[in-house]
Amino acid sequence: MPSDASSAGYGTLVMLMLLIGASVWLGTVAQRVVERGSFVKGYFLGNRGLGAWALALTATVQSGGTFMGFPSLVYTHGWIVALWIAGYMVVPITGFGVLGKRLAQLSRRTGAITVPDLFRERFASPAVGLTAMLFILLYMSFMMVAQFKAGALIMKVSWPGSGALALTEDAGGGYDRYYYIGLSIFAATVVGYTLIGGFLAAVWTDLFQSIMMFFGVVMLFVLALRATGGIENATRGAVDQLNRLEPKLRAAAERQVDDAVAKGAISESEAERRREAARGRNLDGDAYALGPGFAPDGRTFLPLGLAFSFFFTWVYAGMGSPASIVRVMASKSTEHIRRSIFLLNSYNAMIYVPLVVICICGRSLIPDLPAGKTDEVIPRLTVKLTEPLPAGSLLAGLVLTAPFGAVMATVSGYLVVIASALVRDVYQRFVRPDASATEIRRLTYVIMIVVGLIAFAANLKPVAYLQAIVVFSGSGGASTFVVPALMAAYWRRATTAGTLAAMIAGGGTLIGLYVTGFVLPGYDPLIGQVTKFRPYFLLGLDPIVWGLSASLVAGIAVSLITSPPRAEHISRLFDAQLASA
Amino acid sequence: MSQPADDPVLHSARREAIVVFITWVCAFAWTVTVCYLRGYNRKLEDVSFVLGFPDWVFWGIIVPWGACFALSYWFSYFFMTDADLGTDPDEAATAGGDGGDADHA
Repeated sequence: MPSDASSAGYGTLVMLMLLIGASVWLGTVAQRVVERGSFVKGYFLGNRGLGAWALALTATVQSGGTFMGFPSLVYTHGWIVALWIAGYMVVPITGFGVLGKRLAQLSRRTGAITVPDLFRERFASPAVGLTAMLFILLYMSFMMVAQFKAGALIMKVSWPGSGALALTEDAGGGYDRYYYIGLSIFAATVVGYTLIGGFLAAVWTDLFQSIMMFFGVVMLFVLALRATGGIENATRGAVDQLNRLEPKLRAAAERQVDDAVAKGAISESEAERRREAARGRNLDGDAYALGPGFAPDGRTFLPLGLAFSFFFTWVYAGMGSPASIVRVMASKSTEHIRRSIFLLNSYNAMIYVPLVVICICGRSLIPDLPAGKTDEVIPRLTVKLTEPLPAGSLLAGLVLTAPFGAVMATVSGYLVVIASALVRDVYQRFVRPDASATEIRRLTYVIMIVVGLIAFAANLKPVAYLQAIVVFSGSGGASTFVVPALMAAYWRRATTAGTLAAMIAGGGTLIGLYVTGFVLPGYDPLIGQVTKFRPYFLLGLDPIVWGLSASLVAGIAVSLITSPPRAEHISRLFDAQLASA
Repeated sequence: MSQPADDPVLHSARREAIVVFITWVCAFAWTVTVCYLRGYNRKLEDVSFVLGFPDWVFWGIIVPWGACFALSYWFSYFFMTDADLGTDPDEAATAGGDGGDADHA
């Protein structure tokens, strides 16, 4: 039964509407800037005018996952998730310091507007561009579909009287008319403002929303610490709460195994293995403050192999994300790139560590969110903590706009990348190279609307486990593009065939391991996240490690056994140019 | 035939990339090792709290994060060099023209 305690107030809705209004306004301002120059370069690349703040606070891998999937993991598994995310300490320096300067230069020297464009021109090969485009479409589509769910859920939580915060609600029953209203408003808003202003609209709203996110996190951090009496108290409180719940959780875990056996989903020997896990130490409340982390079914959330792997995941996902590469290509100068490194490092430190603390506090204050509802820990905690405050509903709105903003910004950026891939890299390259600006513009709008409608339709029955999809898309981008991008930037001897081999081997290995994990009957090594979207962990390592390794070996080996690239082409991209050139 | 000189941006970017790679390896090795040795296979009663954080989180994550923060300042403001990134071919050709919307494949 909805009540004030289980729903957000009108203030939250007001704040969200203000955010939506601001985003649309930024879209119209961006449109005016785009119209000053060439449509393609302005709409898809912002006329290469990104400054340090825009670059730092938008070219990241923050997304709906940052505020929903990630908090859900902390809430579920405890302090170990700080190790899971620790790679972020070097993401800014690796993201911009390795490829930023060189890719920005190559994109100018070749006139590349999109990531496939860049690969195509660097290797003088349409096949490389086309392959890059296909992989980008695959990863971005997955990510975008997942983000739509996040956007719709936040809208739903913000709706007064939706009962979206009611603890009795089961996961399946969460998709009611409020969810569909939220999905519709979210889709219309994000497609609308991106369509109006293109790349710059995505970047500016992303910047604006990143700042909102910062204030949201700071406020929630202060409120959560005040409510729990400090970090240590919060940790001890969470441990105590879990110890209290332990018998119930163990019984539920055993019941789950019995159900699986009754349905014939797993064998008796597999059932025994899972029962063994459910009786193990990972279900003690103490595990919440230790490695490999607490898990309601007794699984080993972060064994050493995965702790090792995730230091690859975040670092290389940041480096290989097409959305990040395109923003580096759009940067104004090297001065802006290097300043953005420090800005982003400051920002990450002030977002991720506090978010871990906030969710530990969340476990202490709201100890028994059921599985499937842990994605809502931040919204629920926000409403709980702001409720007693004057204008609490407005403050809750401020906090809740942060995840909504992050999701809108992510989707907006991906819409531009997907539209540019289809318009620039397919239509303009292969269908009508002499298409007029008006034709390109109309086609771009149509594609954005169609992509939005597809994502909307896919979310009528939404995907589970947002964070697992974020990891898949990020790992996919990394496995497919990091080695080819390094080869493009630094290796004269890299050949077209070598680059194609690196992309296909990296992407293919990663996708192959995900498909294997998904289709292998009853496969669950009881490590990592609880999700059906589970990869095959070869030797206990995440697929990204194998994807990157395969990409590296294939790229080097195939380059060395194929003919070197044309000397004059390489000279144009690698040698010092005369001043007049 | 003499070897042509590397582009200055390529030269400086390569030097910076090597430093970044070393940073990543050090942060990776420190964090995973310290967290594994001090955070796994322990009992909660053996864990102390430093500034509220479990000791393995403080030494394994907070401290190296702080070090990376300081290093990124040095890298951004003292080590990484500025260079001219050049201009797009269409801009170089038209030098201030409208660039033409028909920028083709």
